[in-house]
Amino acid sequence: MACMWYPIGFTVAANPSSAVVKMDEDGTATLLTGTVETGQGSLTILAQIVAQELGIATDDVVVVSADTDATPMDTGAIASRTTYVTGNAARMAAEKVKLMLFDVAAPMLGVKPHQLEAKDHKIVVKGYPQRNMHIADVANHARVVTGEPPIGSASFNPATVALDPETGQGKPFGTYVYATQIAEVDVDDETGEVEVIRMVASHDCGTPINPMLVEGQVEGGISMGVGFALQEEILFNAQGVQINPNLTNYIMPTSLDMPEIEVDIVDNYDPTGPFGAKGVGEPTLVPTAAAILNAIYNAVGVRITSLPATAEKVFNAIQAKREAEPKQITA
Amino acid sequence: MDKKPTVAEKTVVQEPSILHESVIAPLVSYPIEVVVPKARQQTPAVGQRATRLDGRLHGLGQTGYIDDITFPGMLYAKIKRAGVASARIRSIDTSEAEAMPGVMAVVTGKDVPCNSFGPSLKDQPVLAYERVFHAGDGVAAVAAVTEQIAAEALEKIKIDYEVLTPVLDPLESLKLETPGVHAPSANIYQSKVIKKGDIEKGFAASDHIVEGTFRTQMVEHVPLEPHATIAMWDANGRVTIHSTLGRITLGRADVARTLAIPISRIRIVATIVGGNFGGKNEITTEPVLALLSKKSGRPVKSVFTRPDEFIASTTRHPLIMDYKTGVTKDGRIQARKIRLILDGGAYCSWSETTLGKACILSAGPYNIDNLYAEAHVVYTNKTMTGAMRGFGAPQVCFAYESHMDDIAHLLKMDPLDIRLINAFNEGSLSPTGQTLQSVVVKESLLRAAERFGWHSNGKGSTNGGTNGGAKLLEKENVNGNTVRV
Repeated sequence: MACMWYPIGFTVAANPSSAVVKMDEDGTATLLTGTVETGQGSLTILAQIVAQELGIATDDVVVVSADTDATPMDTGAIASRTTYVTGNAARMAAEKVKLMLFDVAAPMLGVKPHQLEAKDHKIVVKGYPQRNMHIADVANHARVVTGEPPIGSASFNPATVALDPETGQGKPFGTYVYATQIAEVDVDDETGEVEVIRMVASHDCGTPINPMLVEGQVEGGISMGVGFALQEEILFNAQGVQINPNLTNYIMPTSLDMPEIEVDIVDNYDPTGPFGAKGVGEPTLVPTAAAILNAIYNAVGVRITSLPATAEKVFNAIQAKREAEPKQITA
Repeated sequence: MDKKPTVAEKTVVQEPSILHESVIAPLVSYPIEVVVPKARQQTPAVGQRATRLDGRLHGLGQTGYIDDITFPGMLYAKIKRAGVASARIRSIDTSEAEAMPGVMAVVTGKDVPCNSFGPSLKDQPVLAYERVFHAGDGVAAVAAVTEQIAAEALEKIKIDYEVLTPVLDPLESLKLETPGVHAPSANIYQSKVIKKGDIEKGFAASDHIVEGTFRTQMVEHVPLEPHATIAMWDANGRVTIHSTLGRITLGRADVARTLAIPISRIRIVATIVGGNFGGKNEITTEPVLALLSKKSGRPVKSVFTRPDEFIASTTRHPLIMDYKTGVTKDGRIQARKIRLILDGGAYCSWSETTLGKACILSAGPYNIDNLYAEAHVVYTNKTMTGAMRGFGAPQVCFAYESHMDDIAHLLKMDPLDIRLINAFNEGSLSPTGQTLQSVVVKESLLRAAERFGWHSNGKGSTNGGTNGGAKLLEKENVNGNTVRV
């Protein structure tokens, strides 16, 4: 088993995100963001955050990303920060759109703007759900009658306090996430080969904006952790030149090396994140190698102190342990 | 069946042939009917298992990665790598390469207006100039009408090196007598210290002192899509760069600095990127391609080969980690002392962040009143180490969690119990004195243990553990041998 903690966002340094949200006259919306989709699903998460704030569905939000001529400043896909930092900016930009819609809808519904909420494609009087207007009617009215097309922009940067250079005391990060992974391994004591059979991964990410994408991150992180624990290593010759810069001799895990993975999302809510969300990208890999190495220790009683725990290292450690043990001589 | 067969159906029934259109036919059926999964249409949106915006396009092979994009007249670039870890460049002769038919432009370090970059220290050249600091350094770049001609032209470039002795071992690099990799700068290029309480007092109050040294290796991100760039310098003096960068806003500022032109004259467009994991967090070939495009007047593309990806992009920092912990006989940590040495490779890159995160996180998610952690990153003449998923955290977690199990073993405690005794609570103070909020480390430990069946897997293996690995006691391994425990 291994547990861990991991921060969200940059260490002290400003790492802002800006976002622009606009709503068209049919009640669908566009998010402009400078972050980059690098395969983790972050644009879908951002669409869900904007949709939630505006009371519309994920599919009603189109995301335009990653063009410096068209999209606002973003620190980018790094430091597990997109859901938390860009997500906060996107939520705040969407909130501005929502408040514009409330201003337009309030006189039409005969209430003050603060009495309204956006819910299920409608602008609704709080506590009186029958008093409502469809969000498309409000957005259309805003554009063609009052001449105030709904648009909002916002920026977010986590609040930090610089670290004291002598003692390192300060507040380097806005928030942290926590996790535990437990590995079950099969160790072949004749060859030293380790097979990871099962991993249970219990992760905190604050509110899971999309549980399926959290599970995807955990599974991907574990595959990377299995390689880090058991297989992958860049090797150099005595002159400092890499000798295995290819996928024939640099061994990565394949789907056949993957254990059965059980993902568990720990209930949590962080008041500083968008709808309570924090992040999950990097932490998914952090405890994997430690959990596997502790399971090897538990299985065959050898402590491998350097990664990767190749079959050769494990075999040699098992041999050394046997040699060190007092031999039982049968009478 | 009176329905007209769709393209997809046709490809199934027709005879296979290498000339057959099924090789190029799109897999999607026409007319396109988009079925939107329910989870994407439901409100409230948060908490839905919504499928991805880009999932359908990926599934149908319709996502356009840089390798799939071409522009009229586009050239292909290749970069010549040094192949020696440390050297002085006496001369570079590109004349034979430039004379080759099909070669449209060649650039070297002297053509780069501001030949240095880096997220904190600007110690990395765009192309090596006078000195080579690691074997993957680019020394010259060629743009040609085909990739093949560009590769052949690299062979015609003659470089005269004075080969120097490389510094390869981080512990050697630490020593004062070791020559500076970037002399006159010292080999230790950044350090960090975290101090809390009084470790000597803490060790004195302990029943046991446990020590351990742990090491980790250098690994690559190995994204499915390698680094790829297309640069197009237009007649207004504006350059458009399609790039696999994960951080376009800051990448644009870095490109502007190296090319010495205003930020407003650069447009960076990132496509959907085929995996980043930290490896695409800074510029690589973008300025080189911009210069080749400027020189040739053509769009220029480069896609890293897999060897390029290993030798010329960043990697994960190897760490050497010394741990010393004082603990009472009932498992309470009284003091912890940590020293981390990071192999920083040839350039700083994201070492400052990696060093900082590794140091801050190195004590683990535990309440430790007396703590001293120091971390140092050193230059070596090896592939540069930089940002990689976890920034030092997977390395220190391997150390602090192996160390925790060693302590549990010594005290004959359950590894779960020793963690629960010491783990952070809501409102705990972190090693830097930050009050922690939304802390659920104990919940995650208990939930994982329950889900795994930690306690039901039998107690009392010979090494004192009670965890699930003990299941192996009754279990046969893959070869049918009973595992010795």
